[in-house]
Amino acid sequence: MNGETNGYDARTGDGLEQLVTEDMLNALQVVVADKAELYRIADENLNRLTVIYELTKAILSMSDLDELLRKITEEVAKLFNASGSMVRLLEDEKLKIKASFGIPEGIIDALTVGLGQGIAGTAAMDGKTILVKIGDDFGKIAPVINLQTAINIPLKLEDQVIGTFGIFDKRAADGTVISFTEDDVQILDGFASIAAIVIEKFRMYDNAVRQEREAIKIKEEVEELKDYLQGLIENSPDAIVTYDLNGVVRSWNMGAEKMYGFSRGEVTGGHLPFVPEFLVEIENDYRNRVKRGDTLKNIETIRRTKDGKLIDVNLTLSPIKDANGNIIAISGIARDITEKKRVEKDLIRRNSEMQRLLFISSTMRGELELDRLLRMVLTAVTMGDGLGFNRAMLFLVDEEKQVISGAMGVGPGSDEEAWAIWSKISIEQKSIHTIMDEIRTGPLVKDSFMDRLCCGVEIPLDDVTVLTRAVKERRAFNVVDIHTEEFSDTILIQQLGTTAYAVVPIVSKDRAIGALWVDNIFSRRPIMDHDMEVLQGFTDQMAAAVENAGLFARVTRAEQELENIFESITDLLYVVSADYTILRANRAVVRMLNKPVEEIVGKKSFEVFKDVDANWHSCTIPPGEATKNAFIQELDDPRSGGAHLVSCSPILDNDGELVGTVHLVRDITEIKKLRERVVFTERMAALGEMAAKVAHEIRNPLLSIGGFARRMEKKVEPGMKEYARIIVDEVGRLEGILNDALSFVKSAPMQKRATDLRDIADNVLSLLEPAAFDRGNLLRREIGEPVTVMVDYDRIKEAILNIVTNANQSTENGTIIISAYKKTDAAGRRVAVVEIEDDGCGIGDEDLNRIFDPFFTTRSTGTGLGLSITKRIIEEHGGWLEVESSVGKGTKFSVYFPVEE
Amino acid sequence: MKILVVDDEKNILKLYEEELGEEGYTVVTANSGKEALEVFDRENPDIVTLDILMPDMDGIQVLRQIKEKKPQTPVIMLTAYDYRDDFSVWVSDGYVVKSSDLSNLKAAIRQIIEKK
Repeated sequence: MNGETNGYDARTGDGLEQLVTEDMLNALQVVVADKAELYRIADENLNRLTVIYELTKAILSMSDLDELLRKITEEVAKLFNASGSMVRLLEDEKLKIKASFGIPEGIIDALTVGLGQGIAGTAAMDGKTILVKIGDDFGKIAPVINLQTAINIPLKLEDQVIGTFGIFDKRAADGTVISFTEDDVQILDGFASIAAIVIEKFRMYDNAVRQEREAIKIKEEVEELKDYLQGLIENSPDAIVTYDLNGVVRSWNMGAEKMYGFSRGEVTGGHLPFVPEFLVEIENDYRNRVKRGDTLKNIETIRRTKDGKLIDVNLTLSPIKDANGNIIAISGIARDITEKKRVEKDLIRRNSEMQRLLFISSTMRGELELDRLLRMVLTAVTMGDGLGFNRAMLFLVDEEKQVISGAMGVGPGSDEEAWAIWSKISIEQKSIHTIMDEIRTGPLVKDSFMDRLCCGVEIPLDDVTVLTRAVKERRAFNVVDIHTEEFSDTILIQQLGTTAYAVVPIVSKDRAIGALWVDNIFSRRPIMDHDMEVLQGFTDQMAAAVENAGLFARVTRAEQELENIFESITDLLYVVSADYTILRANRAVVRMLNKPVEEIVGKKSFEVFKDVDANWHSCTIPPGEATKNAFIQELDDPRSGGAHLVSCSPILDNDGELVGTVHLVRDITEIKKLRERVVFTERMAALGEMAAKVAHEIRNPLLSIGGFARRMEKKVEPGMKEYARIIVDEVGRLEGILNDALSFVKSAPMQKRATDLRDIADNVLSLLEPAAFDRGNLLRREIGEPVTVMVDYDRIKEAILNIVTNANQSTENGTIIISAYKKTDAAGRRVAVVEIEDDGCGIGDEDLNRIFDPFFTTRSTGTGLGLSITKRIIEEHGGWLEVESSVGKGTKFSVYFPVEE
Repeated sequence: MKILVVDDEKNILKLYEEELGEEGYTVVTANSGKEALEVFDRENPDIVTLDILMPDMDGIQVLRQIKEKKPQTPVIMLTAYDYRDDFSVWVSDGYVVKSSDLSNLKAAIRQIIEKK
């Protein structure tokens, strides 16, 4: 379109009418349409600018970078009808997505690209905006996601790229993807330059805020540390003082106030107040060294407190520097080591004492003889080389008697003696070694003045004196002056003339076994706390040895007692080794074997005992050898007629091996008899009960039979009378048996009275006279003196009658002698004896043991209860029966009664 | 003279009844402890003979009750068994071991009558 050609001035509009033709109109229409399009676009761009402006304002008011970026991506994508958008920022040479819109979450991380990689990487590296239109070949800038159109703009601050901004896939109204325009690029460029600045500002702001926060935190920590340090300094028991290079005090903590006695107010601003004059030079020297930058650690020096006392301190001096490292002041930390120093000195002294004590006690530990040990202890206590006391006495607790008794004393008896001893020792120069050795090996004399004095002393534990308290409370006592001590031991004071003394308990295993008493009567040296410590230390060392020796003495005594028991035991007791050698045998063995000890001990047991009896021989060989168990056996000795209880107990060594056996042989003849009697009595009781039951059941029918037979006898004709009589007699016989049985169990109370056995013998003989006559027997009584015993007359009569009846029945044309007398039996008891002797048929050995059994009888007639009743009656009286018999020669019953005189 | 004879066996009662009857005594009988007390109350006998072992109430209990009722009535204990150890028997007036020969019992009865 050219205005001059058509006579139209476009600048003025003149000639417009002339120009208007059909063509022109058509052309105009086109122009107008173009203009309208341009206008529309301009308007649209204006709108966009407005929106960008608004957006820019909005983002400027935002406070959070992430939120800001998210907003930018969203708004810009909408504004340009883009499918999505993203902001990448350059971090560590990578472009990382910081915010995006329209991109699935899952692939965001994959969109991080390096410089030169993809569209964004290229845009960032070149610093140029890239526009990709439909149909463009991406070439080497192939995008990492599948897209068709895109704009990517580097975000720049001056020439520095800080990131990129990209939008992609513009959509037309119908949703198809179209290309972005140059206008889009321009508008987005403008926005991007603003956004870059805003983002950078945000980033700087964020950094500043973070730095600020960190600064505040560090400041707080520093404050805290400062408080802590201040507290530490303030509360430290150490004196912490700071002062300037001229020695003017700057700070003064509580520890310093306490240690030196000066308050903070008194010293601040003044010169150091605690340096003693004699140390001023040295102190200056220290200060100069610190000024040069040295730190002086653990200097031990002396300070003077406000009240003028000198104290030992451990001092550390360090320089205080300002920020530039210049030394501006000095800090001094001091610790009071006065106590430590004292303990140190103490330790050194104690160490040397302990060494001496250890030596002394080591020489004594092995000593087992109590008296020697005590002498050693006391000598050590009194020697100058030892503990150096003038006199010492040992008391031991006697737990049986509940007293503390003096065991030994050492010390001169008088001043003169004291001088004599001291000078002698100094002349002889005997060492403690020598003296200990002398006590150990030399003769032990125990009769010095102190010994005599000491051994008489016995103080009941119940008394309250220093000595008993020392033992009971296990506490040492230092009686500095007897006149002021309430519980001083008057006995000792009187006898020893002491005015001051000390007592320490001897404690072994938490038990006070005695006490050590000391004094310094001749030298008059006061007993100090330190002496007490040494003394206690010494007794602690000695206690175990004294206790051991005490135990040893007790063991020795116990051994002696055992020996006595071994010897005096009435049972045979002997010890045999594993090879049957008799190692020991007590007196009872010697007596039994009737051989000298030399022929028993050391000999083989089977040889020693073989002459005695076969049974003895068998029991000398330890049957426990195989089993190692104790073995007890009852052996009858036919030779002596006795019974013996033999026990063999193995002696095992620590490995459980048999080394020998102990044999104990007890004569149990008497016990066995007694036991048999008990068994018999029990059997009788059982039988008796049975008999009683049977008797009762039988008696009633018998009564009816017999009673009516009697009635019949009276009424029937004479021929029948005989039959009735037979029934009556037979029933009578049965009832007799029952009566015997009943009298056997009947236990009416005994009525003992003084009875002359002669009377009973007479009575029995007269009763039996007719029966004896029938059998042609002669009855004889051979009793001279009256034999009086306390018995139930009727029962004993019955008992004796049974025996005599028995004798009569087993004798024909013979003599029955009844005699009685008193004698002393083998066991030394007084007994009365009744003997009934016949010369009848006698009793066989096999029957002899059974004649006292109920119902035992050898005759066709008789109940068999007579002798068992007799035995029972005799035993009720505490007596016993003995029978001797030989077949064809006769029998002798002896009845024994104890005599109560 | 009325005698109460107590025994749990009828045969024995019959025997005593006849024998003592022949001696001239009036005899009443009871064959249990309980009956004995009833008969005792009813008949008011002069003498009682008591068997000791009886099934329902033994003679010692009967003795005790009779002595509580009428202490002056003499009681003779008759037994198949020796009961002299029992303290209760001591309060009785006689003690006879049962036997087919009644002479011991008769003697005891006579002794009691004579004492009266």
